Amino acid sequence: METFLLTTYVLMWPVLVSIVLFVISRAFLREWAESRREGRPII
Amino acid sequence: MPETELIQFSGIAIGSLLVFFYGGTFVVSLLILKKEENADGYMTAGNKVGFGISAASMTATWIWAASMYASATSGYTYGISGPIHYGFWGALMILFIYPFGRRIRSVAPKAHTLAEVMYARHGRSSQLMLAGSNVVGSLISLMSNFIAGGVLIGLLSPFNFIQGVFAIAGGVLLYTLWSGFRASALTDFVQVLGMLGAVAVLMPLIFFAAGFPAAFETGASNLTAQQSNFFSSDAFLNQGAPYIAAVLAYAIGNQTIAQRLFAVREDLIKPTFITATLGYGAMVIGVGMLGVLALYLNVDPVQGDPNNLIPQMAAQYLPIGLLAIFVLMIIGALSSTADSDLSALSSIAMADFYGQTVGKDNVNPKTMLLVGRATMVSATAAAVAFASMGLSILDLLVFVGALWGALVFPVIASFYWEKVTNKAFSVAVVVAVAIFLPVRFSWISMDGLVGPFFDILSVIGIGVVLGLMAFGFFGLRVGKIVGVAAAMISAPFSIGFLHDYATLSGSLVAYAVSTVICYLMSARSTESFDFALIRQRVGDFDEAEDPDNELARFGGGDPDPLAGGR
Repeated sequence: METFLLTTYVLMWPVLVSIVLFVISRAFLREWAESRREGRPII
Repeated sequence: MPETELIQFSGIAIGSLLVFFYGGTFVVSLLILKKEENADGYMTAGNKVGFGISAASMTATWIWAASMYASATSGYTYGISGPIHYGFWGALMILFIYPFGRRIRSVAPKAHTLAEVMYARHGRSSQLMLAGSNVVGSLISLMSNFIAGGVLIGLLSPFNFIQGVFAIAGGVLLYTLWSGFRASALTDFVQVLGMLGAVAVLMPLIFFAAGFPAAFETGASNLTAQQSNFFSSDAFLNQGAPYIAAVLAYAIGNQTIAQRLFAVREDLIKPTFITATLGYGAMVIGVGMLGVLALYLNVDPVQGDPNNLIPQMAAQYLPIGLLAIFVLMIIGALSSTADSDLSALSSIAMADFYGQTVGKDNVNPKTMLLVGRATMVSATAAAVAFASMGLSILDLLVFVGALWGALVFPVIASFYWEKVTNKAFSVAVVVAVAIFLPVRFSWISMDGLVGPFFDILSVIGIGVVLGLMAFGFFGLRVGKIVGVAAAMISAPFSIGFLHDYATLSGSLVAYAVSTVICYLMSARSTESFDFALIRQRVGDFDEAEDPDNELARFGGGDPDPLAGGR
């Protein structure tokens, strides 16, 4: 049980990182597409 | 486990990695290159950056190489809770600034630096205190990142430390110089993509390659009782508690954070800061777990330096191709922070030194840009020189930290309380720093009643820190209740012994003294500042050349292109 908990504890951070990465990437792609549609630089 | 020799890249291999990384970021920066750069764009990208880039930039800026090394060291030293006591509190620094950030943006929507807003609110002395501490803080950060890069290249390649420092400094300057903050923020996205992606993939690979989860059982005897305990008091008192005291100070005093606060679209401040909090926390705690794994495996750090644990674990358990990605992750972390520091320094020089000296209406945008770019080059040269000299930065860092701690209450109060005066602000900060120094460096004896006197100040400091945190999210009434309750609850456990912990005690005393003085002097003042004045006094320097403002001026559309004005 303790081994399972420790494994979960260590590996939950890469999973959280992946979720944040997904959120940021999705938002960036939307902003990029929007800026292209409007013909202006993304930043 | 015996000490291992680190794997070595050939000169060509490390050179190719650097060319790939800095060449790639340079190409990305070329995508947004403008022949005629706008001075406001150079500092804050026109105050309308979207969520994706802002969140990525905030995350990348706050993650630097030292934070990953320190988190792993904390895991190796304090066991399973160690990375939490580094990464969690560091993440909260981002979170706790956001309610104050929204207030600051609402009264100064077009600002470039926090010091510039302080000038509009109070005058020269408070502006210079904030700008001066920002300059020193960013120079230290820049130097630390160059040192981290030099050490990494020196460790893993035939190149020496100095050559590594020059390579990193030149690479960062290359892609940041022309477009300033716009280049910094956009390349941050690419860098965060690589950093987070590397952690998501490489951490589990190292975990299984090192023999976990079985090693949790075989290596359990390598941990002490405190290291095995998730609620370790050792970890909290030595790592977590001093960090909690610094949470507000580093968030308020850091221009790289303020710059992003002024750059992001105002309605996106909350999601940006929350996402960056999660991104920073997960990344830094996740990498810090390498220290915990090293502890279970009984790894001896190379040259006895725990800062070598991260490259050591990566070199031990990753094949050469993945190790190269790992090296790129570290270079990405230090470069993203270094380019943010360059942008922060150039903005301070442009807005606070040049802009406020000649006056907002007399600014020549071209001269202003020249000042910004010259600052970047000078700051890089200075940081390289300091890094090459192996200058000890600890005392300087302590001093800047104290200054930031002393600034917290006066700065926050200045945005909410119309009675705060320039005199109250300045006197509070100067006296707080003057009292901090003898406490922090143990220049005076704490015998007799002196120790308990400073403990009482520290207890007030605890109340101030927790009260301000609660105030940011829940308002004045809750803030007062939390502050008073925190001071009363902590008093019996603090008075009589807290002065033995000079680092913690010094920080808390700085908070307390500046708060008490600023409050007493302001409460008696007859000033009633009109916050609407800040909006009038702080604005764009380069309006004539901003196409969005051109549209607005001629009534041709919404000045915010994201709102569909074009």
